[in-house]
Amino acid sequence: MLVPAPAISRALRYGLLTALALGGVLLFLLASASGNTQAFERNYPLLLAINGAIAAALLVLVIMLVARLVRRWRAKRFGARLMARFALAFALMGVAPGFLIYIVSVQFLQRSIESWFDVRVDRALESGLSLGRAALEAQLADVTGKARVMALELADVPESQQLGQLERMRERVGLHEALLVTASGRLIGATDARSGSGFDELVPELPALADLRQARSQRTFAKVEGDPLATDPRAGLRARVIVPIPASTTPPNDVEGFATSPRGMLLAPARTEVRLLQVVQRVPPSVAANAEALQNGYREYQELSLSRSGLQKIYTATLTLTLLLAIFAAIATGVLLAASLAAPLLQLAEGTKSVAEGDYRPVREFRGSDELNLLTQSFNAMTRQLGEARDAVEARSRELENARAYLERVLTNLSAGVIVLDKDHRLVTANYGASRILGISLAPHVGQPFADLAPAMAQQVAGCFSDQQLAATPKDSWQQQMEIKRAGGQRDAEPLALLARGSHLPLDDGPGYVVVFDDITQVISAQRAVAWGEVARRLAHEIKNPLTPIQLAAERLQMKLADKLPIDQAEVLARGATTIVNQVAAMKRMVDDFRDYARVPPARLVALDLNALIDEVAALYGVEKRRRNPAPDAPAIELALARGLPFIEGDATQLRQVIHNLLANATDALQPREAGGAESGGRIVVRTEAVAIDDPAAPAGKTKQAVRLSVEDNGPGFPANILRRAFEPYVTTKPSGTGLGLAMVRKIVDEHGARIELINRSVAAGGGASVTIVFRRVIQAVAAEPTGARRRVA
Amino acid sequence: MLLLAVAPFFAGPASAADRIAVQSAQLMLADDGDGGLMLDAQFDFELPPVLEDAVNRGIALYFVVEFELFRPRWYWFDKKLIDETRTFRLTYSPLTRQYRLATGALAQPFDSLADALATLRRVRGWQVADRGLIRPDDKYTAQVRMRLDTSQLPKPFQINALTNRDWTLASDWRNVPFSADLAK
Repeated sequence: MLVPAPAISRALRYGLLTALALGGVLLFLLASASGNTQAFERNYPLLLAINGAIAAALLVLVIMLVARLVRRWRAKRFGARLMARFALAFALMGVAPGFLIYIVSVQFLQRSIESWFDVRVDRALESGLSLGRAALEAQLADVTGKARVMALELADVPESQQLGQLERMRERVGLHEALLVTASGRLIGATDARSGSGFDELVPELPALADLRQARSQRTFAKVEGDPLATDPRAGLRARVIVPIPASTTPPNDVEGFATSPRGMLLAPARTEVRLLQVVQRVPPSVAANAEALQNGYREYQELSLSRSGLQKIYTATLTLTLLLAIFAAIATGVLLAASLAAPLLQLAEGTKSVAEGDYRPVREFRGSDELNLLTQSFNAMTRQLGEARDAVEARSRELENARAYLERVLTNLSAGVIVLDKDHRLVTANYGASRILGISLAPHVGQPFADLAPAMAQQVAGCFSDQQLAATPKDSWQQQMEIKRAGGQRDAEPLALLARGSHLPLDDGPGYVVVFDDITQVISAQRAVAWGEVARRLAHEIKNPLTPIQLAAERLQMKLADKLPIDQAEVLARGATTIVNQVAAMKRMVDDFRDYARVPPARLVALDLNALIDEVAALYGVEKRRRNPAPDAPAIELALARGLPFIEGDATQLRQVIHNLLANATDALQPREAGGAESGGRIVVRTEAVAIDDPAAPAGKTKQAVRLSVEDNGPGFPANILRRAFEPYVTTKPSGTGLGLAMVRKIVDEHGARIELINRSVAAGGGASVTIVFRRVIQAVAAEPTGARRRVA
Repeated sequence: MLLLAVAPFFAGPASAADRIAVQSAQLMLADDGDGGLMLDAQFDFELPPVLEDAVNRGIALYFVVEFELFRPRWYWFDKKLIDETRTFRLTYSPLTRQYRLATGALAQPFDSLADALATLRRVRGWQVADRGLIRPDDKYTAQVRMRLDTSQLPKPFQINALTNRDWTLASDWRNVPFSADLAK
């Protein structure tokens, strides 16, 4: 499977996704925390820092991604350019709008923040504040006035009664608190508007000495104080006025001890010390509420104003972080998307490259139903089909190759010759059979005119083709028997008889001719033999009939007329009759020979010991020879019979005749020597041996046993022109031979299923002729009695 | 803009020129018999103009005094026995034109900032520990500091505090002498 290395390792991918998710969450928090809300007030810097860290981490990741991409680009790895383009496009698509929005947002933000702080709002708040202050001042002035009035009135009241009066005056004037203190700050008495019994009250707040001093020196101490935001009314906004009580015009006339006012306040002995009156008036709730709202608003506005730059920084920081996160997310997503998009394309590209190089391995298939993924699946289907097609083509071409080789083998092993010529009768193809039959090597001469190679045949072939074209009824092919001279043979050697068939053969570059021819010399001689046999039979029959009457007539003539004629005429008659009878007898013999030749009875094949037979015949010959002509230079017959020769299947009578014929031939061949009186030395060797021949019926490699019988002589050998036709009747070298001997031998040998061969032995082997018979029908048992080794028969 | 995002990292700890100095600090036993340890400390600092302006506009400033008591251990970090804080809130009311210094529920009005600061600088009679926490035979170390608590400020000021040194007003830890007599 072709799988290029993933563009982004799994770890990196997961890291990116986690960082992005985390960053998103934190950014959301930051965004919600920014602005003037209470959320995250305590940990704001921390939040900012975390987001910054995430942004930095993302930056690192993105740099790694980009570096990786650049590295792959530089290394020219397959698919790096495509991925880079994709990644760039996606990233740009994400970054550019983000950047635009960021810039616009920042501008918008700054202008918005600036617009909050209008001078008019400022002025309005200030005015409000002034108004508030003025209201408070007015109240203060009112209270001051009342305090002064009270003080003046109290001045006229004796000190011991001042407290009582205080209460009444306070109620009348409508103040919340009134206090009498000495100049040194000691409390004389206090009344409170809130509850009746002042005794259970908390100790009132004593004025500070500084305040008293100020009241005395400046004759009034007036202040609005308190916390507008306080919930306790006692701590809320109030106006506090301290006025000194002026010296009384009436002298003090009662120096009483401690007296208790109806309110049960502590009384101090009257002194001549200056007394001060403090009154407290709480600001009405509505005014207080308004003051509180005003103060809050003012403070918030001031906060905002002060924090303008801070706010801007917050918002800008948030926006920047968002932008960074978005940019990194865009780049990372771009790369991831590019990787996932490019993966199928890269697979396809790699696959295409491999297919071009002949490698049909499938690419990685992507699941999913979109077109790119389907494309990879289709691609694999295509390569599969391509592979199958290629395999099919290869198989077919192999088949074709096999068929062609088979055809060539057939052609080569054809015994018939096949020649293909082009339209100019140049040789295109010639098989081995053609070369063998014609006796010349044709294969190296492809392209040459056939007439140069085999002129006689070429001429005849050309003649046949032109005849075919001119024929009245055109046929597809012609058949012709032709005789051509053998190449390289002797001058009077037997010509080659060929049966040729020719037809047209369309070649790639035009019309051509094909000629198929067989060497039928053997066939012809066989036919001839059969024909002769037939003739012989008929002739024998026809001739024989008149022969007997002729003989009888001649004998009768002699018988009847011998004693009626004078002696000399009787002699003539006798001689004539004798001649007739002799010649008729001879003719009868000849006819008998013919009949014998023609009607050789079928062989009765029995198990036969060849060696024994040869001994028999040879003995006959040797004895005969000795008896008839014990000439010292009669040819010697040697027997070289192999021991343990297997029995053959043969007919003893016929084989006896064969051996007899061969020996006779050999002897006759050596006779001229004898007659010429030249040195003897004629030798005849009869040899038997067991040989191994290929057995077509047995499994390959197994050979069969056969028996070879050869009769060799060192005579003149066979003349070349006889060699081929020796087995035909009437072929003889003997002046007085019938020429039927070898023909008979041939017939018998054929009946035995054996093979006969006539060979002229080479000079090195002693010259002369050799006749060899290979008996194939052998009984695979060893002969019972070995016949012994050589034996000279003199 | 990018710098701003990472600026928080670079605003270092308070090495500002505006620092709070701890002039003196001492631990005493409470007057009553079963009282605890009382801390008296005198700080010295000036409010920078930025902070003064902030206060005058109504922003509340929070000052935190921190006290820590350790028992040293030779085999590990010192054991922190006491970790007390006291928060002072300094506000200004533009309506009444008065400054208030509040500690918990207690609030004191001041007419001028100087007065308020004077009171703020002096920490007196702050009970930091119960008597029973101190064992007579052990050695102890104590330290105290005061700082402006920026985490109580509104968020925009926290940003300012990160980037502006004027806002980082703090003192170093100052050892408070701890004598064995106190343990007794």
